[in-house]
Amino acid sequence: MTHPATHRSPVHGTPVHRSPVHRSPVRSALAAAALLGLSAAAMAAPPAPEAAYTAMSAEELADYLVFEAGGFDLDAKTQDGGTARERMTQDRTQKVCSAIARSGTDLDRATAAKISALADDTIEFPEDGVALGDWQRGEEIARSGFGYRIGHRVDNHDERTPGGNCYACHQLDPNEIAYGTVGPSLTGYGRLRGTSEAMLKHTYQILYNPNLFFPCTTMPRFGHHGTLTQQQIADVMAYLLDPESPVNQEPPQTADAESADTD
Amino acid sequence: MYKTITTAATLAALLTTAAIADELRAPEDVLQGLIDDNESAYLTQSEQNIMMMPDNAALWTAEEGKDLFFEERGPNNKSLETCDLGKGPGVVDGVYVELPRFFEDTGRVMDLESRLAYCMTSIQGFSPEDPEVKRRHGSDSDMMKLQTYIANRSSGLPWNPPMDHPLEQAMRDAGEVLFYRRAGTSDFSCATCHTNTGKRIRASVLPNINEPHEWTKAISWPAYRVGHQQVRSSNHRIRGCYWQMRQPQSIPGSDAAIALMSFWTDAARGEPAILPDKKR
Ligand code: HEC
Ligand code: HEC
Repeated sequence: MTHPATHRSPVHGTPVHRSPVHRSPVRSALAAAALLGLSAAAMAAPPAPEAAYTAMSAEELADYLVFEAGGFDLDAKTQDGGTARERMTQDRTQKVCSAIARSGTDLDRATAAKISALADDTIEFPEDGVALGDWQRGEEIARSGFGYRIGHRVDNHDERTPGGNCYACHQLDPNEIAYGTVGPSLTGYGRLRGTSEAMLKHTYQILYNPNLFFPCTTMPRFGHHGTLTQQQIADVMAYLLDPESPVNQEPPQTADAESADTD
Repeated sequence: MYKTITTAATLAALLTTAAIADELRAPEDVLQGLIDDNESAYLTQSEQNIMMMPDNAALWTAEEGKDLFFEERGPNNKSLETCDLGKGPGVVDGVYVELPRFFEDTGRVMDLESRLAYCMTSIQGFSPEDPEVKRRHGSDSDMMKLQTYIANRSSGLPWNPPMDHPLEQAMRDAGEVLFYRRAGTSDFSCATCHTNTGKRIRASVLPNINEPHEWTKAISWPAYRVGHQQVRSSNHRIRGCYWQMRQPQSIPGSDAAIALMSFWTDAARGEPAILPDKKR
């Protein structure tokens, strides 16, 4: 299993230890196909995988299939000015947390502490301190799943600002029935927890990198990846914490919780 | 067209085929059976779709696929009756629930789509660039018609991808790694959304890969997608989920896509396939 100490080269994912003799037929055939202008998809019968496939560990083979066997359109440009290849390259947190999830075991304490410390080391706070922004803008961000999609129907960030897609996983406004349940309900978040300075910092940290408190959580690292700007984080925080926000209003008596479940 | 080569092998294949034909079940009956035997918010989430299953437009696509399969076409003017989909030349019944599998002639583990592309090019003489082979999406594509016909001839049979060849096992295991592989700007992997029971993304109830009775419906493609008004394939679903994950476009026929299918089919092992299915 991947150990946090074995941090690998960030560009090509993983060092695949195989004999170059085994590897070259696939490579040269793929290179030839590239020269002929054929995509892997267009080739009816790509070259047969050599015996090397069975000589690799499952992790090595997976990375090989991703990066070297034409599994993905890796040269596509991304909205953040990079390429799709970088999107597929795992950082240490992603690598460790993937292996833990696959093993089906609970995160051990030492690994949890390392993931948490890695988050702690990289969280950057706003220069003027953590403050609440505008809850109405925050609501738009929480509702919008726009942004960062690539491959086909590529999200154009010049036309629309990317959102945070919080509703995909969380209940927030008690009157919204189309909410996901992958994460806990955040309805009444501010009403229940207040807006102390400590609470503001805590919420900022969760949005920047939730692994600090929930190592290997499925929640994305919005600040860490820069998918939400500091201003957007402040706005979403207002949506969560501002007493005026719909998130913190009592649900009207008529709201039928059942209707959400039968949708 | 039909050659009578009476070798023991073809005779055996013919006999098994007849036995398999008796076991095929209509997709709506398979789904109803799963619903009766299990408590699952995922299986029951769309009453409308369950009701409309017998009128599934994908059944027409399957009919068209059947005609195409037997039609002599391509530069070689051949039908696909000599195409070996895993159980011998021309055998269609029961092949789909045993894919992906290792094929001796190519030395690769192949899924239905890549195997069809192989037969269309090697037997019928199409070029990979011909629209017959190249167009992979849409109910009116040859690929979707053929896939839907062949898959339909496995409806009700238990998923049973072979794991005897070392490459089949290696691909399945790599597929498992891919399923749990987190990457990208949202830190998503397939497991983020498909390892819980009864959880939702927005209003959609998600299937759990660890619950075979749910996962069989999840991987029952081709399916008519009501929202798209098209019959869609496994490869189309994989592309869609990678898009949702903000990760690069998956290439159909690549070993990565096939590995993922090897793993997801293994995860539904033993549960009956619903083919074609109808999804939101
Ligand atoms: C992919 C699903 C997912 C998305 C998208 C997501 N979250 Fe989360 N979130 C979770 C999960 C799961 C947890 C629970 C932490 C854990 O135990 O792993 C969580 C926890 C939280 C918590 C802490 C709750 C507590 O009890 O302390 C907050 C606050 C939060 N999320 C806010 C947000 C906001 C705001 C957004 C949108 C910008 C968002 N989340 C997007 C999955 C998600
Ligand atoms: C962010 C959440 C998310 C992630 C990550 C995700 N999926 Fe999905 N997946 C969904 C949703 C939502 C649906 C339901 C489709 C719909 O209703 O449009 C779905 C549908 C499916 C289905 C078909 C089930 C059905 O009933 O339509 C399969 C199979 C599937 N996903 C496999 C995968 C695989 C494989 C991956 C990784 C490559 C993956 N998913 C990643 C959310 C996700």
